[in-house]
Amino acid sequence: MSDLDRAIEQLRACRLIPESQVRELCYKARELLIEEGNVVSVDAPVTICGDIHGQFHDLMELFRVGGDVPDTNYLFMGDFVDRGFYSLESFLLLLCLKVRYPDRITLIRGNHESRQITTVYGFYDECIRKYGSANVWRYCCEVFDYLALGAIVLGASSELEPTSSGMGDMTQSTMPVDDGELETEVLNSRGEVTMSTYRPRQRSSSDASTDSRNISPPRDISAAPGQTAAPTRTGAPGTGASGDGNGSATTCRTGAVLCVHGGLSPLIDSVDKIRLIDRKQEVPHEGAMCDLLWSDPDEIEGWGLSPRGAGFLFGGDIVKQFNHLNGLSLVARAHQLVMEGYKEMFDGGIVTVWSAPNYCYRCGNVAAILELGEDTSSGGTVARSNGEYGRSNGVGANGIANTVVSPGRRYRVFEAAAQDTRGMPAKKPVADYFL
Amino acid sequence: MAASQIPNLNLLRRGRGRGRGGIRGVEDGHGSRASGKDRVVQGTDNDASVSRLSAVELGYLVDPYATALTPPGSATRRFPIINRGTYVRTTAIDQLVAHFLGPYSPETQHKKKQIISLGAGSDTRVFRLFTSRRPPDVIYHEIDFAVNTATKIRAIRSTPNLQKALGIDPSSNDVTVSEAGDALHTPSYHIHPCDLRSLSVNLSLAEALPGVDRSLPTLLISECCLIYLSPSEAAQVVTFFTEHVFGPTHAPSEGSEKLQSSPTVPPLGLVLYEPIRPHDPFGRTMVSNLATRGIQLQTLNKYASLEAQRARLLEQGFETGQAAADIDFIWERWVKEEEKERVASLEFLDEMEEWRLLARHYCISWGWRNGDDAAAFSGWTTLQAQPAE
Repeated sequence: MSDLDRAIEQLRACRLIPESQVRELCYKARELLIEEGNVVSVDAPVTICGDIHGQFHDLMELFRVGGDVPDTNYLFMGDFVDRGFYSLESFLLLLCLKVRYPDRITLIRGNHESRQITTVYGFYDECIRKYGSANVWRYCCEVFDYLALGAIVLGASSELEPTSSGMGDMTQSTMPVDDGELETEVLNSRGEVTMSTYRPRQRSSSDASTDSRNISPPRDISAAPGQTAAPTRTGAPGTGASGDGNGSATTCRTGAVLCVHGGLSPLIDSVDKIRLIDRKQEVPHEGAMCDLLWSDPDEIEGWGLSPRGAGFLFGGDIVKQFNHLNGLSLVARAHQLVMEGYKEMFDGGIVTVWSAPNYCYRCGNVAAILELGEDTSSGGTVARSNGEYGRSNGVGANGIANTVVSPGRRYRVFEAAAQDTRGMPAKKPVADYFL
Repeated sequence: MAASQIPNLNLLRRGRGRGRGGIRGVEDGHGSRASGKDRVVQGTDNDASVSRLSAVELGYLVDPYATALTPPGSATRRFPIINRGTYVRTTAIDQLVAHFLGPYSPETQHKKKQIISLGAGSDTRVFRLFTSRRPPDVIYHEIDFAVNTATKIRAIRSTPNLQKALGIDPSSNDVTVSEAGDALHTPSYHIHPCDLRSLSVNLSLAEALPGVDRSLPTLLISECCLIYLSPSEAAQVVTFFTEHVFGPTHAPSEGSEKLQSSPTVPPLGLVLYEPIRPHDPFGRTMVSNLATRGIQLQTLNKYASLEAQRARLLEQGFETGQAAADIDFIWERWVKEEEKERVASLEFLDEMEEWRLLARHYCISWGWRNGDDAAAFSGWTTLQAQPAE
């Protein structure tokens, strides 16, 4: 077993690795990250995750629900540290996994991956307390400076392979009886479908309404949680969509998905402009790089001032235009607590994914991860529509819709891990209240 | 992780060390309960003083007395949302107090008003008030468990700055401290060691709360205090003041019953600051988190909404006016724009959603009865209340 595998094992048990090993790890991580562009290309299938904030036990729950690395391909959209009790264990584990399986896990930068913010929100204090000096904090901050600013997910399927509702086999199909394709599906942590939405097949673009209905969870929930997680995943994203999409001549292209921590910037009108940023620095207080990590979507028109004091608010029109110009079908971002774990806005043009359940051990929210399946209909060739070519090569040709199709989206919703039952050291959470 | 997240062991130790036996009410049947639960409640004062010091040190609040009234060695930097909440809570109650007292002038000291702070703990308001209103035009009372009052009196005795703020000379005859060191009386400031649950109509007021003037316009303040009592105990405490201490009195008449004047009713107000909305996910988590610390917010379910808070005030006799607003509303509406900008610039407040969530779960409610003086609470009518949901 290599040192790295040993470190992974140790961190998984929520035990820290020695300072010298952290230094080595951070050095290796920097070497790896420096080769990545500002916008990393990631091929579907991929599982997209939002803020973690040092909630180590919940990160373990995330892996339980979403599958382990390297079996599942992960994309984490930043804010690994601060607020929770275990920023070090969480970030170092993710970093180890990155170094060990560089092609199976992508880490991009959040606004908390910053020297200034970590001194206010706890990561600095945690480093001092656990290592006795600021050295480890410094090594980590140097890694932060090399994290990519965004990612583009390519080759996602527009249609989800229906989940067999936690039954673990295909004996009972939940395929819709009508001619719609499964667009979104929400699963609880036991792998049971709690909601599905369908859209008409793309060949009948006239009927654009989305059929939405609730599917009650299956009655058979007798299988232990640990058992259901794995089998349901295998049946999950996008492995069997080819047979369905055949007849339609559209071969409709699923647009690329841009992932950033915060959102858009008034200084950035194309994905290429993100690539031009000199990112290897502390997060600035303003400018394009700051905006990508700090901005939030809001129910406004155009741009607005952010109450956070950094970044901007941006409306649905901005998202629509940005997606259109860049051949994107979706912006996935994190950064904002949403009580339900995920929140789609602007006709599905943008989604917030939040992966820290019971945030700060106080908020009572659930968390979610977003799975995008792989489109196998084109024989595995991925349409490189990452914004560089605008929308010239694709849908427009056959005169159907000018918009790209959004990917099928499977949300797995999960709750906070029960800390005392995991056999890992866990301090009883003490949240601050006014008393 | 900030040090503020580390369980404060002092908080648990404090009460145990000197708490036992110091609590009044042993005689009236509450003695058996003056145990673990009470000690935890007494310890919550530590939380408040540490939060206050954090907000002061970061520039949210100006309070020269915060350090002296925070247990030594417990200074901790709180998270930005806690600091902002401390700021809003403190300044909002300051405003209610200021609007109750009205502008200060040398004349007002002859038309005194009175404030009674329930469960005052290490609160610094009296020191700040007396510094800006000298000589004081207000008689200030604080009531708390003997453990807490003794701590405060020790701080006052050892801190010239606090004595100066009160305008007292400890060696003068104006100041008396009880033998146990848990009661203090000056002409304008009284600290009463008293378990609120022991207050009853059978008590002699002069014995239980010496120095309380039954004729003055009076403001009662409960800053996270009554919520720790059972609903009936909490209502009883308020009733004790509304009906017993400040109930209608008949002016002494000249013997003839027929000539007796109509009763005088002194103006009385109540300000409450406490958590609300326990039934949503945040509220449920709050209740269970506090329960693991042994803290039970006993009236929370009964007064779970702004609506219920207003109804409570009316029910308890504050018939002239009842109003309530959550901390989120008060931050948005009471704090002036330039002040908001100043406060926002003190620290990054990254967690906007969490701030709103937290701030919506605390409220300030205020109610009053004018009694014989229609102008007594006129200052409060300009304060913006939150409309019904």
